[in-house]
Amino acid sequence: MILPAADELLAPVTAIDGFRLGCLVDAATGMVLASKENPGGSPPMSADASAGAADIFHVLTLLSGRLATGEGLQDVTVTFSDSFFMVRPVGLTGESQILLLIMADRQRTNLAMARRTIRDFCASLAS
Amino acid sequence: MSLIPRRARVLAGSAWPGREVDGYANLIAARLRKLAAARSTGTLPVSGPAEGAIVLRGGHVVHAESSRTPPWRTVDLAALGLTQAEAGPSPARAGTSLAGPSRAGEAVPEAAEPSTGMLAGLLAVTEPIIDAATELLSTKSRYTKFRRSDVPGTVQPYPIPVAALLAEAERRHRVLSQLAAVVTADTPVIRGASLGRPRLQVSAPQWALVVGMSDGMTPREVAMRLGRSVFATTIEAYRLVELGLLAVTGHPPPADGRGRALAFMRAVTNERGTDG
Repeated sequence: MILPAADELLAPVTAIDGFRLGCLVDAATGMVLASKENPGGSPPMSADASAGAADIFHVLTLLSGRLATGEGLQDVTVTFSDSFFMVRPVGLTGESQILLLIMADRQRTNLAMARRTIRDFCASLAS
Repeated sequence: MSLIPRRARVLAGSAWPGREVDGYANLIAARLRKLAAARSTGTLPVSGPAEGAIVLRGGHVVHAESSRTPPWRTVDLAALGLTQAEAGPSPARAGTSLAGPSRAGEAVPEAAEPSTGMLAGLLAVTEPIIDAATELLSTKSRYTKFRRSDVPGTVQPYPIPVAALLAEAERRHRVLSQLAAVVTADTPVIRGASLGRPRLQVSAPQWALVVGMSDGMTPREVAMRLGRSVFATTIEAYRLVELGLLAVTGHPPPADGRGRALAFMRAVTNERGTDG
């Protein structure tokens, strides 16, 4: 990680049941700012997962740019057979656009609760 | 404003011939790894297309600047919430200093513990360093003698591990390689391309780029004018070309599919550094 000190920021989202991976990604550059993985989980995957999150964000940004409906992206949830892949813009002001990526075990995660935790976390980061 | 002493910058212009890198930044990366392993403190001047220097403290990168990225601007760390005095136990205080053990008599600024509302600030102070390092680690760069104890007093308080910096610079070079078929940091772009659609929606940074540029400017020139990251500006320019708001003069994107879309996923291979 480029900012090991920032990893601590992700502590609140590790409380999500079934938490596997959390990352903060600079959407403009695709750079991983911070990450936390569930110890004992799968092999390190933050780089690939973060790059995927940034790519998804930009595809959807391009889509909204062409549709020009005046809407902003709130969040993205992708459901795999065994896991959830959730992306939410943190919503900082100015030039920065930082994404929060969470991967969680589908069998153990209450999706509604997870989304609420993520929403609150992003709101706290933007405050 | 440059934080690098003038003497160090002058030295970079007279690099030893044997230190020149032919086609790859391996030697600089290898040198940085050695300095990191030795937990060195000082300045590594770099010359070539991008002149500048990389500053290390305790083996971690605390500053970098390049002639091909916007000049270093003093960041009000307090305004960004990065110098808070009251905080819980941070890694540095807990004895696992991010910068490693300091040398005797060396003043290491206390890094504030990351807290909410600090992310933009962290990015504001680290992105210019990584942007400059990416330029300095270009294929034709070379380094000169490492100058110990040339550390400016106002470097940012969050040291970046050398391995992480090298991995990020390598990833950025791969991203730029993807973009090169359409636009590079030094490709002139123009506004007012035929949109072919009645309305478009752009983000605030994209709009700032469109408004801040003049026809024929390159992404690097726009970044220098706006004081933004050259790498991020080049990516935004590419995306605006995709949207049709910008165009590359004389070099339309290849219609046969050779110019594949930008994908950060394809730029990720592993966590190794530039010399890996």
